Amino acid sequence: MKRILEIVWIFLLVLTIFAFVLGNLNFIPTLLVAILFVSTFIKGQMVIDYFMDLKNVRLKYRLIPIIWLVVILSFIAILH
Amino acid sequence: MSKNSYVEEQYPPGDFAIWVIIYIELLTFGLLFLGYAYSRKQDLQVFMDSQVMVSQSIGFINTILLITSSYFVAKAVRTIKLSKLSLSKTSLISSKWLLGAMVLGGGFLVFKIYEFSHIFGQGITLSTNKFFMFYLFLTVFHFLHVILGMVILFNLYQKTRLQGYTLDNCSGLETGASYWHMVDLLWIVLFPLVYIL
Repeated sequence: MKRILEIVWIFLLVLTIFAFVLGNLNFIPTLLVAILFVSTFIKGQMVIDYFMDLKNVRLKYRLIPIIWLVVILSFIAILH
Repeated sequence: MSKNSYVEEQYPPGDFAIWVIIYIELLTFGLLFLGYAYSRKQDLQVFMDSQVMVSQSIGFINTILLITSSYFVAKAVRTIKLSKLSLSKTSLISSKWLLGAMVLGGGFLVFKIYEFSHIFGQGITLSTNKFFMFYLFLTVFHFLHVILGMVILFNLYQKTRLQGYTLDNCSGLETGASYWHMVDLLWIVLFPLVYIL
């Protein structure tokens, strides 16, 4: 896709605005916290695949940062 | 697709050594993130009371700046790799993307210095409480990575401006770009962890 970087960039901005709006709430319901974790994962995944350009490299090199992201966010979510 | 281009796609872009560094950095920051999350669970009230003293707005602005800067760097690399223009025009366009990325990175540093001066101005130090110990350690550590990233971007900018990168010879550019994206990736996790949750 020719404009993939632009689409990713806009998506990242939208998800960041979403996180900021959540941060301004006095109380964040559990469901929205879960959505925040998922959106953070999506943001990280997009940076890994499209900015770092790991989408088409050998799977093991791509999996390392993805597994890192999943493990870190999962532990943070469990401890939250 | 030629055999050579197929082989190139098997490995991450840039020098492989940078990926070893990136994986180590991710592990290091990952342990700090987990330390923060664990300590928060132990002292939830301290963390919640202290967190209101850091500026979510500055954290938000800095996230926008870093994401956009990372996008600019990706555009700079893509310009070199895909442009069908002459080398001089391609290098000029790519260097402008890198210059833009540096300006945004500089903006990040300015906002961060403002945030630190506000925090330190209130007499807060590493020993104030566990939240500020992690907050300062994580954000200052990341801040230092941004400074190093800016030095790298400046070098990439200089070499790009002098037409030092071509489609067949842009490993150095990809190496520096990968480092900058790692700085962005770390901040993407750090922002909700420290400023939002």
